[in-house]
Amino acid sequence: MIEQFERLPGIGPRTAQRLALHLLRQPEEQTRSFAEALLAARSQVGHCRRCFHLSAEPLCEICRNPERANGQLCVVADSRDLLAMERTREYHGGYHVLGGLISPMDGVGPELLQIQSLVRRVAGQADPALPDSPTADPPTADSSIEEVILALTPSVEGDTTSLYLARLLRPFTRVSRIAYGLPMGSELEYADEVTLARALEGRRPVE
Amino acid sequence: MPVSTGRERAACSGRVDPDGTGRWTPERRISPRHIRRPSPWPPQGPALDGPTLAVDCLRPIRLQRLELTHFRNIERLDLTLDVPRLLVVGANGEGKSNLLEAVELLGSLRSHRTGSDRDLIRHGEPGAVLGCCTVAGDRLRLALRRQGGRQASRNGRTLERQQDLLGSLRCVGFSALDLDLVRGEPSLRRHWLDRVVLQLEPLYGELLSRYGRLLRQRSQLLRRGLGGAELAGLLDAFDQQMALVGTRLHRRRHRALRRLEPLAAAWQERLSGGLEQLRLHYSSGSELPGEEAEEPWRMALASQLAAQRPEELRLGQCGVGPHRDDVALLLGERPARRYGSAGQQRTLVLALKLAELELVGSVVGTPPLLLLDDVLAELDPTRQQLLLDAVGEGHQCLVSATHLEAFGGGWRRHCQVVRMQAGRVG
Repeated sequence: MIEQFERLPGIGPRTAQRLALHLLRQPEEQTRSFAEALLAARSQVGHCRRCFHLSAEPLCEICRNPERANGQLCVVADSRDLLAMERTREYHGGYHVLGGLISPMDGVGPELLQIQSLVRRVAGQADPALPDSPTADPPTADSSIEEVILALTPSVEGDTTSLYLARLLRPFTRVSRIAYGLPMGSELEYADEVTLARALEGRRPVE
Repeated sequence: MPVSTGRERAACSGRVDPDGTGRWTPERRISPRHIRRPSPWPPQGPALDGPTLAVDCLRPIRLQRLELTHFRNIERLDLTLDVPRLLVVGANGEGKSNLLEAVELLGSLRSHRTGSDRDLIRHGEPGAVLGCCTVAGDRLRLALRRQGGRQASRNGRTLERQQDLLGSLRCVGFSALDLDLVRGEPSLRRHWLDRVVLQLEPLYGELLSRYGRLLRQRSQLLRRGLGGAELAGLLDAFDQQMALVGTRLHRRRHRALRRLEPLAAAWQERLSGGLEQLRLHYSSGSELPGEEAEEPWRMALASQLAAQRPEELRLGQCGVGPHRDDVALLLGERPARRYGSAGQQRTLVLALKLAELELVGSVVGTPPLLLLDDVLAELDPTRQQLLLDAVGEGHQCLVSATHLEAFGGGWRRHCQVVRMQAGRVG
């Protein structure tokens, strides 16, 4: 069991041991419901077939909400980034989860990411992967996307993916990307040079 | 205008005295106008009066105390340095270079002799500890472990990244291995130039590592054998980023070289007794039109990247950009790599290192430490004397040598001599 815990991200040998011993001390009922929750999550949670966010339903909650089809589409690398965007409560559009970033060194090319599906979504074409049944959404539901917002990390891989996507999507819609710069609430003098230089590069006229 | 940090100002105004010995009491309070600018170019007066190492009003001693435990053949060493010149004398294999290497490691976190920390730890010991006190009042400590991993601390506080130790003790080193700077591959000259720029512009490190990653990703992409449209789209994305980052690297290297050239030429002239003219020519890996400017250079690099693509697809490697830069070292307009004698090449490397010391010193405000490991070999007696006259003025200098004879009485009088024997200071 300790070995199993150690395989999880962010868990070292000592934490793994602590978790394992803790679980052994729990009442059996509690351990059972924990195990069941794990299995249930594994078997029930899949990906939303439109935006590829984690979802127990074929379409996730965000894609089902008609108010969120406001013409904006935010592209993120994975579901964690989507949840971070959601925590802002400032963004009210739809999402598209790529499932990673282009990184030839790690063997990740565009074909392994949800890039084809994104282009189809933005171009408003029918998705051949979607079943053509009456319960399926009309494939044109997304055809009114007015802006794609690329929210990818500013690493080499993130920037490569952004530039690649921008090229693919520009014929169909406006493409923008989030600004990079100083975190709010931080002091200028404590910012590292790289962040500061990026912020300087992305400066804007004062309105 | 060189800038001195608050800490250095404090050190110079005598407010910091780490050991409480009151050993040094600076003469005057430092203010920016007291910092001498780098020597003028062309040097005025006769050649031998040319360059001097600037910033002489700052206390030349940077390193006050060195403590080593289980480092290479040194079991334990505790050395207090009280004059700017330290001469370490000993036979071969007694540990002279190890002492200098320890200082280099504390200053730059790297050793020019090895890439593995295991080699640095005394045989049979689990780890080594290097510590020093600087005049600025910093106590630096670097612990190396045989199983890997380092721990750095400053003034008793463990640092999150060992990189944070950099900057407290800058040094410029010279050893026999540095002759490859003239004789070896272009990458060695690129790395030397990179190290200089890194000390001048903190942002450069990010640009370098970004460019390196772009290059690695790009070459992996070429190996993956993707289809036409996908590959072209991705290469476009790489081109766009590499043109921008590449231009910035080109500009910074070009700028640094332009500042280094007069200093290095003046040093070469001085160390050769006015006989040799040195020129540093930036042989850039891209064709850069006209004067240094970001936008024209970026556009030139972008179009060259696009033009070399068919060739790149055939060979599997990118043919233009800063990764193909070189610095041509010309003595009297002829490449020193092919035509220079051993002594001339050695003088040239010294001139480059002294130029680096002077430039970094003038930008940072305090001259780095100069580490000269067995430097006199292959130099004729005149050059030996010219070199010795030049070092140890206005900066701290640690020199190792196998025998004392080469060092004249005048030089020795102003220096602290320690004898190394089997890893111990006698």
